[in-house]
Amino acid sequence: MNYMPGTASLIQDIDKKHLVLLRDGRTLIGYLRSIDQFANLVLHQTVERIHVGKKYGDIPRGIFVVRGENVVLLGEIDLEKESDTPLQQVSIEEILEEQRVEQQAKHESEKLKVQALKERGLSIPRADTLDEY
Amino acid sequence: MGWARPGGLRPERGLGPRRGVGSPVCSFGPRGRRDAHTAGSRPGTEMSLEDCPLDEDEDAFHALGEEDEDIDQFNDDTFGAGAVDDDWQEAHERLAELEDKPATTGEQEDGTVTDEMDLLGDHEENLAERLTKMVIDNELEDPAIMQAVQTRLPVQHPGGLNSSIWDGSAVLRRIRGPLLTQEMPSVSVLDYALPQRPPQARDEERDLSERALPRRSSSPVIGSPPVRAVPIGTPPKQAAMPNFNQQILCPKPVHIRAPMQQRYPAPYGERMSPNQLCSVPNSSLLGHPFPPNVTPVLTHLQRAQLLGGAQAGRMSPSQFARISGLVGSPLPSMNPKLLQGRVGQMVSPASGFRAFFGAPPPPAPPSAQQQQHPPCPGSHLQNLRSQPQMFRPDTTHLHPQHRRLLHQRQQQNRNQHRNLNGSAGDRGSHRNSHQEQMQKDPYANLMLQREKDWVSKIQMMQLQSTDPYLDDYYYQNYFQKLEKISATEEMHGDGPKKERTKLITPQVAKLEHAYKPVQFEGSLGKLTVSSVNNPRKMIDAVVTSRSEDDETKEKQVRDKRRQTLVTIEKTYSLLLDVEDYERRYLLSLEGERPALMEERKQKICDMYDNLRGKMPSQDRPSDDHFVQIMCIRKGKRLVARTLPFLSTEQAADILMATARNLPFLIKKDAQDEVLPCLLRPFSHVLYHLPLGTVTSLLQQLANLPHSATALAPANLHLSAVLQNKFGLSLLYLVLSRGEELQSSDAATELMQDNQWTELMLMATRELLRIPQAALAKPVSTPSNLLALFSRYVDQQKLNLLETKLQLVQGIR
Repeated sequence: MNYMPGTASLIQDIDKKHLVLLRDGRTLIGYLRSIDQFANLVLHQTVERIHVGKKYGDIPRGIFVVRGENVVLLGEIDLEKESDTPLQQVSIEEILEEQRVEQQAKHESEKLKVQALKERGLSIPRADTLDEY
Repeated sequence: MGWARPGGLRPERGLGPRRGVGSPVCSFGPRGRRDAHTAGSRPGTEMSLEDCPLDEDEDAFHALGEEDEDIDQFNDDTFGAGAVDDDWQEAHERLAELEDKPATTGEQEDGTVTDEMDLLGDHEENLAERLTKMVIDNELEDPAIMQAVQTRLPVQHPGGLNSSIWDGSAVLRRIRGPLLTQEMPSVSVLDYALPQRPPQARDEERDLSERALPRRSSSPVIGSPPVRAVPIGTPPKQAAMPNFNQQILCPKPVHIRAPMQQRYPAPYGERMSPNQLCSVPNSSLLGHPFPPNVTPVLTHLQRAQLLGGAQAGRMSPSQFARISGLVGSPLPSMNPKLLQGRVGQMVSPASGFRAFFGAPPPPAPPSAQQQQHPPCPGSHLQNLRSQPQMFRPDTTHLHPQHRRLLHQRQQQNRNQHRNLNGSAGDRGSHRNSHQEQMQKDPYANLMLQREKDWVSKIQMMQLQSTDPYLDDYYYQNYFQKLEKISATEEMHGDGPKKERTKLITPQVAKLEHAYKPVQFEGSLGKLTVSSVNNPRKMIDAVVTSRSEDDETKEKQVRDKRRQTLVTIEKTYSLLLDVEDYERRYLLSLEGERPALMEERKQKICDMYDNLRGKMPSQDRPSDDHFVQIMCIRKGKRLVARTLPFLSTEQAADILMATARNLPFLIKKDAQDEVLPCLLRPFSHVLYHLPLGTVTSLLQQLANLPHSATALAPANLHLSAVLQNKFGLSLLYLVLSRGEELQSSDAATELMQDNQWTELMLMATRELLRIPQAALAKPVSTPSNLLALFSRYVDQQKLNLLETKLQLVQGIR
């Protein structure tokens, strides 16, 4: 049954493997099992994938229930093309380490920037300290 | 204040849970073991806060408690047995014991099982290995699990967890023993897993229902569809049971393509839930969608939710299922325990559901395989066996290892029966491949068809509108465009007609609500309730008109501009209405059409008036209003869109005004560059103009006074015109039109028309005078200009003009 042709509906996506990007930046990959009218998602056999550069690592998470408002986007994963990636999978520890290093580097460059601006008398409020709306 | 009573729906126990606000909840001990109406003396009393004040005395409190006895069913899960946390553990232990009963089965490869388990991973592992890996710590409380892990043997034993209805009556009878010893007197049969209920024999049916496995305690989530709701076999195609309330909340979405359910099971891609599968006629699917596994159909809480949902008028998908998915006639003999079910509304669906199972044996199609004896109407169910078992029981509360074992055993059963079923014929083999695909995703269709329908129903509800062209203009237009394109494509080629299903949104008639605020009799004043339907005025804002005295010039200018903007907006609304009339005309009835036409005419007149500025005086000497409009980008676009609707005279008037003021407009348009949008409507208008008008138009362009023939060395007006893209293009258009008229109407004495000649000469002179670089690039160069010029100028000049204006376009 073609649900709601001409519209965007998640019903056709059920039981398929999806990649979900959340508002906090996390990437989840799992089988979409259930939805509701708010686009709350139930992901099955979910894996949180952390990407750093060309590497990625998977953390198995089990079943996720995601509140719809926290989803930025989601897309179906083509199972055949899934393995066709130039990215290299590494272990969880390694990727977490890489992530930490990356965060640190970012943090430091941010600090330098803020320092430089402060010296010039400017201050740009950081995005994460701003109110959301 | 007491809670609302679901009076009509549950006749047996007519009272809903009520308690005073201040009363401690836990003071009510576990009730519900009694099924008598103890406080039946006052079934109809509505308790309210006034009746039981907070500082109630003991007696009143007890009375309250007493009265609550017969309305306790909601409380079981919170106060009663259901609330006990280790309920499931005990139950689980019992089940595990069953599992450990020795039985022999051909042991299947662990690998095949793990394949299906392993969805995200792509490496095969021995189940045993994985299990051992999973056992991280030995402090797993659950001895059942530990046992299961240690045995590591896939066993299939009669009466175990995975015993299915296909196992034959002997198997199921064995279940009876241990399960019946469970202490669950008060819970109704609805709580228990239907899988234990084979359509074998009626008597067994009743017993089996009691044998069902313990329910899972769940936290109440009011209003959400219960997990593993009773999956009535068919989607809302079948006749519904007559004896219950059917609440249709919204019109169902209409799909052009009817859902294809009356056919054999589809390949994996299509989502045929077990429900759908069950609904297939002639299929031997009329059995039993449930895997032989633990599935409490409904807990108390779930029923409570359902009831609560029904109370609120909301229907969860499971309710939809219940109401709409009932097949056949109700079982003639109803299980008294069923009737005893507290959820009155649930009774009928449940019974209908049973009927569903009761019915199959008679209509069971004679299948090629009658492997098992009639007691087990398993023949058709054998065929069913090859069907993928979509239903996943709710095993989320189980330990993952345990779950794996269960699934594994299920898989074995499936394999077994599949082997038995090998020669089921075409359908069988077809289904085998289907099943294999399904096997790879044993968790498929966790979301029932009901639930999907429910969600899409909600989404469709949001699309309801009284006037889709108003509410959803862009979508409607987009689809119209698409249809037009596909229609033209079809006309051109007779390629495959791509059937594009269109979403038909239900159209709801507009209801006029006159909201009357609630009033109580004998009360002083009204309730101060403001809602979305009845907004309340919060502030009394008084509009004070501005005094005319101390307005500065700037203010005046600003106001004037604002005035113009307002005019533009008003005219735009008129324009949109007028543009819409065609569609409305088509949709309207015969009688209404004259009125529509009148309206349209009127609106067009209004538009014109707006554009030109309504002057009380007779003539309209001032173009001011119009010019002001034309200075604004939106105004220009407005004029362009309005022109097609105006009469020739009116349109000519507009043209004249434009030509008259063209340099000014050009100057103002320098930033926007929107004037060229006027070219097309202008050309349309020109097409209808007689020569006289054209001449005067040209005159306007050249800005010559009527009679004077002053040959100024440089005509600023015209030169400005020529240096502007729009101006030049317009000039070309005018000239071209003139030429057309001349060449077409030989009889008229156009050649002798002095004015025209003069103007022509003037124009050519100007054209020649202006350096080529300054000349604008016209939008299009009409082809007959050369002929036109040749009439008036000598060869030399003609050549010059040719090169300058690039009139000759590629000599053929």
